[in-house]
Amino acid sequence: MSRHSDCSMYSASRGGFRRGWRLLIVLASASVVGCQQSATIGPVAQEEQARKIAEAFASASADAGGDEAGDEAGGTGWATLKGRIVFVGDPPEMPPYNATKDMATCAPGGTAPPQEWLIVGDDGGLANVAIYARKVSRVHESAEPPEEEVVFDQKQCVFLSHVCPIVIGQTVMIKNSDPVGHNTNVQGQNAFNQTVPADGSTPYEPQREESSPAKVTCSIHPWMVSYMLPRENGYVSVTGKDGAFELANLPAGETIEIQVWHESAPGGAVIAEGETADRLGWTNKGRFKIKLEEDQTEEITIQVPASALSG
Amino acid sequence: MKYTTPFLRLLPVIGAVVASVGCQESKTPDFRLNMVRMVSTETDGDYQQEIANVLDGLFGTPDQPIAPAGSGLDQAKLNLAAGPAWSDDAGVNHGLYRKHCVHCHGVTGDGRGPTARFLNPYPRDYRMGLFKFKSNAAADRPTDEDLHRILWNGAPGTSMPSFSLLASAEIEALVEYVKYLAIRGEVERALTSYVYDELGEDEDDEGRVYRIPLNPVDGEYAEDQREAIADIVADVSETWQAANESVVVPDEDAIPELDNRTAEERAASIVKGRELFYDKRANCYTCHGPTGLGDGQTTDYDMWTKEQLELIAATDSLADSVAEEREADDLDEDDLRELDRSEQLLSDREDVIATLYPIRNAIPRNLRAGVYRGGRRRIDIYWRIHQGIPGSPMPGVGATLSDEEIWNLVDYVLSLPYEAASIPQRALPVNAETLVN
Repeated sequence: MSRHSDCSMYSASRGGFRRGWRLLIVLASASVVGCQQSATIGPVAQEEQARKIAEAFASASADAGGDEAGDEAGGTGWATLKGRIVFVGDPPEMPPYNATKDMATCAPGGTAPPQEWLIVGDDGGLANVAIYARKVSRVHESAEPPEEEVVFDQKQCVFLSHVCPIVIGQTVMIKNSDPVGHNTNVQGQNAFNQTVPADGSTPYEPQREESSPAKVTCSIHPWMVSYMLPRENGYVSVTGKDGAFELANLPAGETIEIQVWHESAPGGAVIAEGETADRLGWTNKGRFKIKLEEDQTEEITIQVPASALSG
Repeated sequence: MKYTTPFLRLLPVIGAVVASVGCQESKTPDFRLNMVRMVSTETDGDYQQEIANVLDGLFGTPDQPIAPAGSGLDQAKLNLAAGPAWSDDAGVNHGLYRKHCVHCHGVTGDGRGPTARFLNPYPRDYRMGLFKFKSNAAADRPTDEDLHRILWNGAPGTSMPSFSLLASAEIEALVEYVKYLAIRGEVERALTSYVYDELGEDEDDEGRVYRIPLNPVDGEYAEDQREAIADIVADVSETWQAANESVVVPDEDAIPELDNRTAEERAASIVKGRELFYDKRANCYTCHGPTGLGDGQTTDYDMWTKEQLELIAATDSLADSVAEEREADDLDEDDLRELDRSEQLLSDREDVIATLYPIRNAIPRNLRAGVYRGGRRRIDIYWRIHQGIPGSPMPGVGATLSDEEIWNLVDYVLSLPYEAASIPQRALPVNAETLVN
């Protein structure tokens, strides 16, 4: 913005100037302004450091293929982490979805089904929390992709699985149990957007792991929303209204980082509170680390305050 | 001619002014960061600087691009497209991107060149790797041929002109440079995820908090980070190299692309296509409107805009929670530090939001206009219907309809501009219902 001072130097007009000269001067100062960079924010690369990085990568191809193993090897056997996720506070009442068309189907009786961005069960269980292992060195056969399909249905213009975990390798059968047409638009790394005919279905096979659930919408009924979470292994659980989760047969003897996600937490990262969260060393990314012994079944109750779900 | 004398007297002054103006601002352009992404992912200033360094280390600068190892990009083509515009003695044109593209698509390929703000639609931002008009599976990156086609034809109905007057080697160089900027943008996005997921602050055994820098050159994390970054580049590039594998080729037994049907056959196909247009399987009318004027579903947004809207919504709720925190009187030292951090993030986000262009809805195409942004050949329309238009709300029907049915729709869509405007629609019951709702 400092260039403005240069312009004013040129535009300080002398009284006797005629119209034509003023025009010229205005043009000249306009061209000075025109040279300005538009408002840009954020840093640019530091030349010296960028050069070093370029050199490091240019020579890196020589020593490629290093030692993959080595970190945290050694555990044997399996262990289970399970428990409940509990909402602390007064849950808000969910307003109905803002249905605006196909009302006979989407809002039977005049009211659409309630929204689902914060569902709490009668005994305080927090629903639609995804809890999953970020990285593991070994995978138990029970966490391999199951043979059966994942059914992802929609009825009354609501996705019936609000948060849908998928193990890569599984086929998702996207169904439509409504008498109106839908389309299912999955964002993220496994982008997909196909129509799903009334009372019909279409298969979908995500190939790439997401680090947090990908949003699913319908272009025809823009109020519809849900999430899909494709993971490399079955160490993923989504809570129901009881708030219960179970990650069975985790590799024992290694430190595993667990991610806890909810759509209404800022950035998805659920920040728990209370004694258990403190003991687990809960981070502001909604994660904690745990190391289980062989055949151990660790049971925990995680408390989530209302303030953590304000996103 | 009364201006002549003073004009001559002032000529040297004017000359000096013009000369001084002309000499200014010859600074070489820099790549800029994707600030929407940075503040959305809460990437702080230090990490932003480090990401900028890594990106320039991997990809070079606008004047001296580097095709990173494993990217599959062609260095010679990049050299021809990059840098300032000039022609050598042999008549070869250099700096093609800056000569032909930069004023709309921007130095970084962010779709924010100097003219971008005044265009509708806004120029494509390459940095998600998302391109609308292509021949292969929706989730995949465009083929070279797809990018070549849009450079050759332009995008009718938008500000994107045809570059068919350029030599084909020049178009190929530009295609390569667009891929380079797209891959660079995708790597930038992946780096912010990597920083969020793997770096940040950690605690040592004595409870001291320390920061893990993004520094692939020296320090204890350098080697791991070099490997991780090379993996990111390989992952992103792989999706570009596989683009040709998923090209959608219509069934030969269905209606051929070269159309040698009789007028009656074509009319019968149009009737079938019209039925499908209002059918609950294809569902075209819900967005394109009961009369095909593009007025059915006009409140949705494209993917580029949705990212901005999500940032705006997240910032609004952050502002609310910061305001609430400020009111509280029982804050301890940790809370205050957290509040400081939130206030900083809030002000960073507000700065970024202030730079955004006005938000626009994604409006379905008016099918009666006879203007087709991705090309007007039957195969172009076929691809749009089969796979949808990535980045836009338009879904595909390839998994639902047969090839023949898709060709029926193509016939109907191409006939719509010639359908009599005075009788736009029969009063189909389905239309009445839509209009009432």
